Amino acid sequence: MLTMKDIKKIYRTDSIETHALRDFNLHVNEGDFVAVTGPSGSGKTTFLNIAGLLETFEEGRFELDGVDISHQNDAARSRLRNQKIGFVFQSFNLIPDLNLFDNVDVPLRYRGFSRQERKKRIEHNLEMVGLGNRMKHLPAQLSGGQQQRVAIARALAGEPRFLLADEPTGNLDSSMAQSVMALLKDINANGTTIIMVTHDAGLATQANRNIHVSDGKVSEKAMSLSPEAAQFKPSQHKRVVGLSE
Amino acid sequence: MTDSKSPSFFAENWEIGPIFRALLRNKVGAMLIALQIAFTMTIVVNAIYIIVERSDKMQRPSGIDEANSFYISSVGFSHDFNSLVTTQEDLNLIRSLDGVIDAVQINAVPLSGSGWSMSLQTQPGTEFDGTGTAVYMIDEHGLNSLDVALVAGENFSPTDIQTRQSSQTHWPDKVIITLAMANRLFPDEGLAALGKTVYINDIEPMIITGIVDQLQAPWVGWDNVENVMLTPEIRDAKSSRYFVRTKPGQRDRVMNEVESQLAKSNSGRILRDMRSVEGTRLRAYRDNSAMISILVTVMTILVIVTGLGIVGLASFSVNQRKKQIGTRRALGASQLSIVRYFMLENFLISSAGVVIGAALTIVLNIVLVDAFSLDPIAWYYIPLGMVALWLVGQLAVFGPARKAANIAPALATRSV
Ligand SMILES: Nc1ncnc2c1ncn2[C@@H]1O[C@H](COP(=O)(O)OP(=O)(O)OP(=O)(O)O)[C@@H](O)[C@H]1O
Ligand SMILES: [Mg+2]
Repeated sequence: MLTMKDIKKIYRTDSIETHALRDFNLHVNEGDFVAVTGPSGSGKTTFLNIAGLLETFEEGRFELDGVDISHQNDAARSRLRNQKIGFVFQSFNLIPDLNLFDNVDVPLRYRGFSRQERKKRIEHNLEMVGLGNRMKHLPAQLSGGQQQRVAIARALAGEPRFLLADEPTGNLDSSMAQSVMALLKDINANGTTIIMVTHDAGLATQANRNIHVSDGKVSEKAMSLSPEAAQFKPSQHKRVVGLSE
Repeated sequence: MTDSKSPSFFAENWEIGPIFRALLRNKVGAMLIALQIAFTMTIVVNAIYIIVERSDKMQRPSGIDEANSFYISSVGFSHDFNSLVTTQEDLNLIRSLDGVIDAVQINAVPLSGSGWSMSLQTQPGTEFDGTGTAVYMIDEHGLNSLDVALVAGENFSPTDIQTRQSSQTHWPDKVIITLAMANRLFPDEGLAALGKTVYINDIEPMIITGIVDQLQAPWVGWDNVENVMLTPEIRDAKSSRYFVRTKPGQRDRVMNEVESQLAKSNSGRILRDMRSVEGTRLRAYRDNSAMISILVTVMTILVIVTGLGIVGLASFSVNQRKKQIGTRRALGASQLSIVRYFMLENFLISSAGVVIGAALTIVLNIVLVDAFSLDPIAWYYIPLGMVALWLVGQLAVFGPARKAANIAPALATRSV
C-alpha cells in the first residue's frame, strides 16, 4: 500500500515559488488500479514523481509498502525504485541504442539478478506483451504502441508491487491506447497495483478508482469528470499555466 | 521489507555487453577517441623510451670527481717561454694553494668532447686488430687529481714519467687501463690482465701496471666510452692543460685563485678555457637535455589534448543522453551505477585505443630503432603505456560521469 499524508511540494526557481502539491493526501491499497485526472499543471506528474521516489518533498509523510520514505538517502531510494516500482512514461523512454532484450534487461542488471534469471524474465515479459519474436529489434523499428508494450515489459520484469504510468497512452492513437489499457488491466488483475495519470476520460473510467487532482490537492470522484479535463484530447494537449502559479 | 539481496558487484551486472553493443551503434565518436588514445600512446611510450635511454646515458658516471674539479689551459707565446719549466712551476703553484687536493697536466678531459685515441692489441704485428681507446697522459698525481681508484696494480712513480715532445710517436712502456678496457682486451680475465703486455703502434710493447675501476673517454657519444688508457707522460708543449681537484665546496673560489695566481706568475703566456667539469657535463649533454625537454613538452601537450578530448566527448554524450540517464535512474540505477556506466564505456573505448596503440608503438619503435640505431624498446613499456592511457581515460571521464550521476531522476518524466 501507499500512503501520503499532507505532502507539500514547492518548486523554486529564481523568483517564483510554485506550490505544486499542497496538503496532498492519498491512500492506495494493494491491488488498486487508480486513474489520476486533473487539469494541466495541477500536480499529477509531481504526485507521480514523488510516489515513484523520483523527487523529494518539503513536508508531510509518505509510506511506501510500510517504508517511511522521508529519510531515505539517494542510494536507498534508487534501490526501492528498482525493487518495488515500475515506470511507464508517456514517451516510452526506451534506450534507442539498445535492442528490446537489452532494454528490458536494464532494471534487472541494477537488481543484480543472475544471467539466467534475467534472460528468463526478459523473454517471459516480452512474450507477455506480444513481442517475444522481436527481441533483437531496436526501439526505432517498432510502432509507438509496440514501444509502449516494451516499456511495460521493462517495468514489470522486476515484478514490482507498483506500476506508475504518466499518460502512458498520451502518444498513442485510440486503438493502440485501448490495447495498452487492456494490457494494464491484465497486469492489475494479476496483482500489481497501478497508478495511472491520464487525460483520457474513457480510459479513466476503466480503472477501479478515480482521483482528481486540482491545484495540488486530491479530490476523489465517482465516475464523472470535470468538463475541463474531459474535453482534453491528447493530441491537442498543451501545457497551460497551473492555477497555483 | 527491502530485498535482502543487494545489487551484485560482479561483472555480469556491469553492463559491459550492453555498453559495448550501444557503442557499436555510435562508432564514429568512439573510434576517433580510440585513435587519439592510440596515437597518444604511440608517441608517449616511444618518447618516454627515448627519454629513459638518454637519461640513462646521462647518468653514467665519468669516474672523476665532477663536482669539485675544473681545468684551465695555458698557452705560451713569448720567445723565451720554456714549456717544461713553466708546467712544473704552474703545477707546484697550484698544488700548494689552499683548497686544492691535487693537480695534473693532462692532454684531454672526460666529457669535453675532444681528446686522443690510440689502439691497443694483445699480440704484436700489423695483421692483428686493435681495440680503440682514449689516451690520458698524466704524471704520478694523475690518479689522485682525477679521483679514480686502482683496483689492481700500482700508480705511476715519479721515475716512470717521461717527457713527450709534440712530434713524438713512440710510447712509454707502462700503461694503466680501465677495467672495461681490460675486459675488452682480455675477455673474462678482468684483473688478471695486470702485468700482461699489450702493443701500441702494432708492435711497441706496454706492460699493464695498473687497472682503475672507472674512467670515461672524452666522447660521451662513443659506444666504448669506458675504453681508456693512462700513460706516464708530461708533455713538452707550449699549450698545456691543467686539471685540478679541490676540496668539496671550494671549487669556485679555487678557480678564481688559480686563474689570478697563474696570470701573475708568468706573463709569457695566456690563460684560457677555464671550465668546471660540471659545466663540461652540461655542454656534453646539451643536445640530450634539449631533446628531453622537447619530448616532455610534446608528451604533456598530447596527454592534455587527449584528456580534454575525452572530457569533451563524454560531456557531449552525457548531455545528449540526459533523458536516458534520468530513465535509468527511474528504473533503479544508483548514482554509482551511472558513474560506472560512463567509466566502463570509456574503459572499452580506451581498450580499443591502447590495443591499436600497442601495435603502433611497436611499429614506430621499429622505425626509430632503424633510424637512430637504438636498442629495441623493452617489452614492459607496452603494458605500462596501456595502463597509463587507461588511467588518463578514467581520470578524464570521471568529471563528466559524476555530472551524469547528478542528473535528476525526474528528468525521465519531465523532459520530452
Ligand atoms: N522542475 C520544475 N520547476 C518549477 N516548476 C515546476 C517544475 N515541475 C513542475 N513545475 C510546476 O509544478 C506544477 C505542477 O506540475 P505537474 O507537472 O505536476 O503538472 P501536471 O498535472 O502533470 O500537468 P500536465 O497535465 O500538463 O502534465 C506546474 O505549475 C508546473 O509548472
Ligand atoms: Mg504531467
